[in-house]
Amino acid sequence: MGLIQRAIEARGVPTVSVTVARDVTEVIKVPRAVFLPWPMGHHFGAPFHRDLQRRVVLAALSLLETSNEPGTIFDLPIKWADVRREAQTLTEQGRKL
Amino acid sequence: MTAADKHALPAADPRDAGTQLRAGLWQTINERYPGSMIRKESYVRQARLAKPLTECRLTLVSSCGVHLKTEKPLDVCHPFGDFRFMRVPSGAKHEELIIHQLKYPHDDADLDINVIFPIERLQELSQEGRLGGLTANFFSFIGYNMDPEKFERTLAAGIAEAVVEEEQADCALLAPA
Repeated sequence: MGLIQRAIEARGVPTVSVTVARDVTEVIKVPRAVFLPWPMGHHFGAPFHRDLQRRVVLAALSLLETSNEPGTIFDLPIKWADVRREAQTLTEQGRKL
Repeated sequence: MTAADKHALPAADPRDAGTQLRAGLWQTINERYPGSMIRKESYVRQARLAKPLTECRLTLVSSCGVHLKTEKPLDVCHPFGDFRFMRVPSGAKHEELIIHQLKYPHDDADLDINVIFPIERLQELSQEGRLGGLTANFFSFIGYNMDPEKFERTLAAGIAEAVVEEEQADCALLAPA
């Protein structure tokens, strides 16, 4: 994914990625990224937790406006244990829909 | 076990500590699939937004393997990976989409696609005017490719060209899976 991000940025379009693997993102040297300490497959949080999904998207978009330093990685320090706790009821309700 | 080990604090659970859940992922993948992960020595030239986000058309690129249910999936079984990509209409809803990918857990994304492909959150931000708009199509592929040079030459260049030339995006959000 980092290679795609670099290819788009190199064509003059600003890019931002959302990563759960900080080491992979650092090695491939992407222009800018938001890091979340979350499991693979859950880059925007938990099912039906709209506020959290939106928060991650907005953090990434904000980085497009504020970061001018190549390789900026912005930490969104939301613990996965807290996400699961918050999302439990939302996910159970959503499953029944 | 030495006396020092007995008194050492147990490593903090990354779920509570807020650190990367799978530490050393780059090295782990490269040990399992030698040569699949490469290193870059320098950054590409930083691009700048030409206008405020409220006037920008955004595109979304994801390696999550999502596509319209009406379309044929990419090849999830090929030993070197499928180097093609698919277009996903940016107006699509969760119930029109399906994920075909074997390399990451997508049970939660099957319940709510926005967990990995935040298409409905982007639709809302666009409707609210926080974004100028969305490109007609978003992009999806399977994030399992064992030949990074070929990946860069074909898939990465192909998506980048489509993002810039076909969709005329002003900015891009990339969501690995």
